[in-house]
Amino acid sequence: MIILRYVKLPSENFEEFFNSLKRWGTVYAPVKQGNIYAFKRVDTLGEVSLNYTRTMLPPKKFFVRPKDTLLKLKNGRWEEIREVKKIVLFGVHSCDIHGLQILDKVYLNDPVDPYYKARRENTIIIGISCMPDEYCFCKSLGTHFAMHGFDLFLHELPDGWLVRVGSVKGHEIAWVNESLFEDVTEEDLKHFKEFEEKRSASFKKHLNKEGLADMLDLAFDSPVWKRYERICLGCGNCNMVCPTCRCYEVCDYWINAYEAVRVRRYDSCFMETHGLVAGGHNFRPTRLDRFRHRYYCKSYFDPSAGFNCVGCGRCDEFCPAKIEHVKVLDEVREALK
Amino acid sequence: MNPFQTYDARILEVKELTPREKLFTLRFVDPEINKEFTYKPGQFVIVDIRGFGEFPISLCSSPTRTGYFQLCVRRVGRMTKYMHTLKEGDIIGIRGPYGNGFPMEEMEGSNLLLVAGGLGMAPLRSVLWYALDSGKYEQIYLFYGTKSYEDILFRDEIIHLLKHGEAMNCRVKLAYEVESPSCIYLEKGFAPKVCKGVVTDLFRGEEFDVENTYALICGPPVMYKFVIKELLDRKLSPGRIYMTLERRMRCGIGKCGHCIVGTSTSIKYICKDGPVFTYWEALSTRGLI
Repeated sequence: MIILRYVKLPSENFEEFFNSLKRWGTVYAPVKQGNIYAFKRVDTLGEVSLNYTRTMLPPKKFFVRPKDTLLKLKNGRWEEIREVKKIVLFGVHSCDIHGLQILDKVYLNDPVDPYYKARRENTIIIGISCMPDEYCFCKSLGTHFAMHGFDLFLHELPDGWLVRVGSVKGHEIAWVNESLFEDVTEEDLKHFKEFEEKRSASFKKHLNKEGLADMLDLAFDSPVWKRYERICLGCGNCNMVCPTCRCYEVCDYWINAYEAVRVRRYDSCFMETHGLVAGGHNFRPTRLDRFRHRYYCKSYFDPSAGFNCVGCGRCDEFCPAKIEHVKVLDEVREALK
Repeated sequence: MNPFQTYDARILEVKELTPREKLFTLRFVDPEINKEFTYKPGQFVIVDIRGFGEFPISLCSSPTRTGYFQLCVRRVGRMTKYMHTLKEGDIIGIRGPYGNGFPMEEMEGSNLLLVAGGLGMAPLRSVLWYALDSGKYEQIYLFYGTKSYEDILFRDEIIHLLKHGEAMNCRVKLAYEVESPSCIYLEKGFAPKVCKGVVTDLFRGEEFDVENTYALICGPPVMYKFVIKELLDRKLSPGRIYMTLERRMRCGIGKCGHCIVGTSTSIKYICKDGPVFTYWEALSTRGLI
């Protein structure tokens, strides 16, 4: 049972609250970089883009790193590399919080991945409310509101923030900063409700989730896959930016003549090597197989455990061929009729 | 405990089985680990050539013979090429065993029909030894399809079983594709158990008690379709057909995502939920074979 506590953080205390977070670790927050946003190390509140749409890489990069050194070879034996730093992830959207929970299911499942677990335990997650843009479809998947998976969640109010406390650590932060918080008034709740209603009404993209898995079951030979096979460039961008994609490849590198490291790095199911085995047999030899595999992996493989898609819209925004996830699924559905 | 840590294992013996395959006999350096290391036929380990990489490979020895384990490695890529240069006394890393393995207890008292193609002989040799050692199985059939005489894995063992197998309730049949004097010599000596053709040709003239037989298949992906058709034609229940599958496995514990297959009701990691599946599972899971 997760007990939520609601408090209010007035605007004038916001900066002080932000600065107090450094006590729990290095603060990372979304920062604007050219046309995109990225989670970066920040020192002052001024650097943070509070109204960001989405970062290019989701917060998974802090837990499953693009290049992740697992072991180091010393005197012929592997030594574990585990430098865990305490960090505070400030300004995580609810879709990304849901994305992390999907990763949790994989990495914290037995046998537990010790690297992921250590990083997860040493991270404080502070969520922030957002307004959808033209790519977001999280509402269709029910990931537009996080009930757990964060320590604190900030909801925008006209004169401050409504703060939901979601964990023991979150309570600790709220307790230490007690003087900065106020009680929530009826009016604040009204504003909160208004914000959520406005947000709910501003989604432009909707995914028809009804019977999606069964629909995909029937659409294995759909002509739509064939059409998209020609459009897709097979670059794997969608995998890199996806908050739930977590395939990895393992490589050994020699860093000097005596020491080697074992590194895991992101892999992409759009790469030809993803289904390749020794001897040259490929289980997904064509781009069609690989394209379909991604859609099946996101929406089809055992949806009773939840879809592996959180509707963040990254794959749409960063696709060089402008392929839209929802549009593909809608077209597949349409072609069945 | 870090699941990615590998344990030192010493190579006790390297035996050249064919020009492409070598048999490595290994033992863990730490006697404690050696004692704890138990496995089931059909399971696999991950071999760690430190500084070069890891690859999954099935165990081809039987858990009934303790104190060592064996791996049959074909030279196909960068890592296996390196592995082939290793000598007796060299140390490599091993982690595992992984996977579910064959349900040997469930099959006790039944006939076993082992169908191997090429390198598929390796995991089935584990089953064969286990079955012969334990003596808990009725009749054992081994149908082995190979390219040529030179490509027969564990040739001396196979020829021994061709000669004396019947006394152990073990009927071995061999099909080869490329004709050579040695093959013709074998064929003359052991007709009709040795013939030219593919592995499905070996089913000709064989009768099985389908109510009491389990089929265990391992071979190249193209082989499954034909062998399964042959078995289904003989009315063997899909639940009695076991096959072991391969994928690009990087972790062995269901994390790296390469071996994922699924349907709308289930998700399967071949490394964790397999690599042994029944034909029922293949029928209900698209993409499994």
